[in-house]
Amino acid sequence: MKKKISAGILRLNKQVFKLFGKHISKNQIRFLAAGHLDILESERSGIGFEDRTSGRQFIDAFSSAGCFNVGRMNGEVIKALDDPDISDMGNYMVLSRNKIEFAKKLAAVSPGDLNRVVLTGSGADSIECALKLALGATGRKSIVSMVNAYHGHSGFSLSAGGKDYYKQLFLPLKPGFIYVPFGDLDAMRKAVSRDTAAIILEPVQGEGGIHVGSDDYLRGLRSLCDELGIMLIFDEIQTGFGRTGRLFYSEYSGVVPDIMTLAKSISGGVYPNGAVVYRDIDILNGFVDAHPGFHDSFGGGSEIGCIVSSKVIDYLVDNVVWENAGRMGDKFRKGLDRLMEKNPKIIREIRGKGLMLGVEYLHEFMGVLMADNLAKEGVFAAYSGNAPQVMRFMIPITAVERDIDSILLKIEHAVKGMRFYLALMLPLARVMIFRNILNNVNVLIAVNNFLRKLHLA
Amino acid sequence: MNTSINKNIGEWESLLRDAASVFSKGLIERIKSEGLAMLEKGGHGSVLVDSTGKEYIDCFTSAGSFNLGRGRADLLRVLRESARQTDQGNFIAISEEKAMLAQRLASFMPPALECALFTVVRGEAMDAACKLARGFTGRSEIITVDGGWYGHTGFSLGMSDCCERDLFGQGIPKITAVPFGDVDAARRALTKNTAAFVLETVQAENGCRYAEEEYYASLRRLCDEAGAILIVDESQTGFGRTGYRFSFDCFKFIPDIAVLGEAITGGMFPMTAIAFTGRLKSFFDEHPLIHLCTFGGHDVGCRVAVSAIDLYVAERPWENARRMGGLLFERLDGISTRYPGMVCGIEGKGLLFSITMKDEVNARRFCVEAGGSGFVCARGRVNGSSVVLRPVLTISEDDVRMIAEAVENTLKTMNKG
Repeated sequence: MKKKISAGILRLNKQVFKLFGKHISKNQIRFLAAGHLDILESERSGIGFEDRTSGRQFIDAFSSAGCFNVGRMNGEVIKALDDPDISDMGNYMVLSRNKIEFAKKLAAVSPGDLNRVVLTGSGADSIECALKLALGATGRKSIVSMVNAYHGHSGFSLSAGGKDYYKQLFLPLKPGFIYVPFGDLDAMRKAVSRDTAAIILEPVQGEGGIHVGSDDYLRGLRSLCDELGIMLIFDEIQTGFGRTGRLFYSEYSGVVPDIMTLAKSISGGVYPNGAVVYRDIDILNGFVDAHPGFHDSFGGGSEIGCIVSSKVIDYLVDNVVWENAGRMGDKFRKGLDRLMEKNPKIIREIRGKGLMLGVEYLHEFMGVLMADNLAKEGVFAAYSGNAPQVMRFMIPITAVERDIDSILLKIEHAVKGMRFYLALMLPLARVMIFRNILNNVNVLIAVNNFLRKLHLA
Repeated sequence: MNTSINKNIGEWESLLRDAASVFSKGLIERIKSEGLAMLEKGGHGSVLVDSTGKEYIDCFTSAGSFNLGRGRADLLRVLRESARQTDQGNFIAISEEKAMLAQRLASFMPPALECALFTVVRGEAMDAACKLARGFTGRSEIITVDGGWYGHTGFSLGMSDCCERDLFGQGIPKITAVPFGDVDAARRALTKNTAAFVLETVQAENGCRYAEEEYYASLRRLCDEAGAILIVDESQTGFGRTGYRFSFDCFKFIPDIAVLGEAITGGMFPMTAIAFTGRLKSFFDEHPLIHLCTFGGHDVGCRVAVSAIDLYVAERPWENARRMGGLLFERLDGISTRYPGMVCGIEGKGLLFSITMKDEVNARRFCVEAGGSGFVCARGRVNGSSVVLRPVLTISEDDVRMIAEAVENTLKTMNKG
């Protein structure tokens, strides 16, 4: 279903790309174009948007890495901005009713004794705060993170990241980080000691390729932390607020982390906000009481942000949105499993929980190709930066059954569309040298841009 | 009347208990000891309004965010309208809003600083600037100056001259500080291994210390000679605060990267940014999506920022800041001479002032007593004996008179005590 684009809009689009290239990054456009992700989002609502470059209706299967848990442009959340008392962001060090109300609401829905709150501005800001809290409270120097972990791009959050690609150009970063394979409890046992301040992980790795932490694994980490006095940090920035079928992923295992980081969906996609919630325990309270200014966030926990985030929590709780994520996730998952059975030469594995699903293809180069084919069908899906052979499907969790039927059909068509390319590429991929060339991201970008130009011509 | 006062006090105590239970007891102690024991309801013009309706002249302004005035109805309208027309958008995607803000910002900055990256909190913006410098030059050393304050994230904290820095073990390596204002020290420190030289032109949190024009010109020259990137933190000094669009205009030099604070949206939206040269942008062309920020180019925020920049251009608040700053400085300087036992000096540029008290105890007490005199302010984070005054830039002569009187009343009260 495509809408005709007027000449005026086409001219404006051209201007947008030109300005973006001139002032922000020209090659970002090229990079996105290779996966057919060079869209311009307009008419955003529900689970998707209209692409202003093609006139095509898109299902948003990326959701800005899981920001749109209340759906795109949720009217009830937007209405919160009509609060007549709003004047601006407010002063960052000064308390207000709205800040207190939001923090209370957050503490009330957080698992176990995660009752204490630090207000932050973004995911990376939350991670910085959490790492500092653990280091400061324990007085220890080492932190164990995961291979392929993703926690953000600011100084300490990047240091905690487990992918060299994002770090190597900016070294040296904060020392003291150790990286172990996700899910490997034995490796973790070997890595930790009484010098370990924290273990930090996404309980479901997102950017790293949708790896789900099992209940046993998370419980094992909890025991290890209890035994050695280590702070357990769950980064629930992507998994939090209903994405996986529970309000927080940790609820599946019953493991209460010492520190939980939040951001993304807490904003409702309307107004940025973030938070760190920590356990009401002496070691953490003692540190924060002694150093209440250990992490002030100028733009975080703003007056407007707190009003919006309170509304987001109300909406999620009132509509029990996580249950919908669980139900729709099961349906989506079953459909993807069927697709995998039919296409063993393309899909290696389906992973995930709730509406945080990942499809792993057989080869890295398939991620870009699938992004392209999905876009042609009207699905905006990004392959994982830390694992390009894995495509994340994180549609808004307000999706209903017909949305799942629709996206499954589109994915099926996209897989069929892949067969033409794969007839050529799969024989090549059997030879290591060609496989390496095909998996080279720069080669893929050049080839795909060339193919798109041919297609457009 | 008494019932109403008792009700307010009872409500206040109850909310404080709530706050202590959900934030921390330490935080409550901190706001009390720093003179910020109030519940902010909002603000308009030059004032902050608390939950009881009492008005204070806002000389804190969230560390210089509300340059266009508190509670701007025009910006609030843009926020509300924009949120009904668009949303955050996918952060990896291209958008009209990002492109338009980048263009608008480029037209507002000096021509050399034509490129931009959008971030959320100030620390993240500074961290992005340091990463860009390291990435572009392929070098690792970062030189900063003593007395600086840049934020709470990794790189920013490592360069900030504050006690919190040492609470978290070793920070980002290869950061060294040289004495502020010392050209020879800068010359010795800047080598072919230096990625960046980082500083604030006016050290807001350190008694508003600044150097002579020649210092900044020398730094510019030395960075060029060494092939290092000159980064200036304008998060407190930018958008008119010092009486010029940017403080580097005041000191007549142009950095390679300028770090911009929430004043970019007039304090209506959590957005910060770095503005940098086309030469540096080649790094982001070569490595697209190497630095990501989910809320960084928020489409609603971009629209608010474009409108705020339009307002800056239309109202030129730096001109008022220069004029009112001159008047206020004169009055504060006069007052300070009347309290030599308490006030050690006044320093500042435009509408960014610091009153240096004789010690931290007096500075803290000043902030507490300020509330009674009808204004709010905060101590410097680096120099705890300093009190920073940074009102909105749209203040009138009446406001200047009221601030001066309030400062004098505060000192009088302290003198009596």
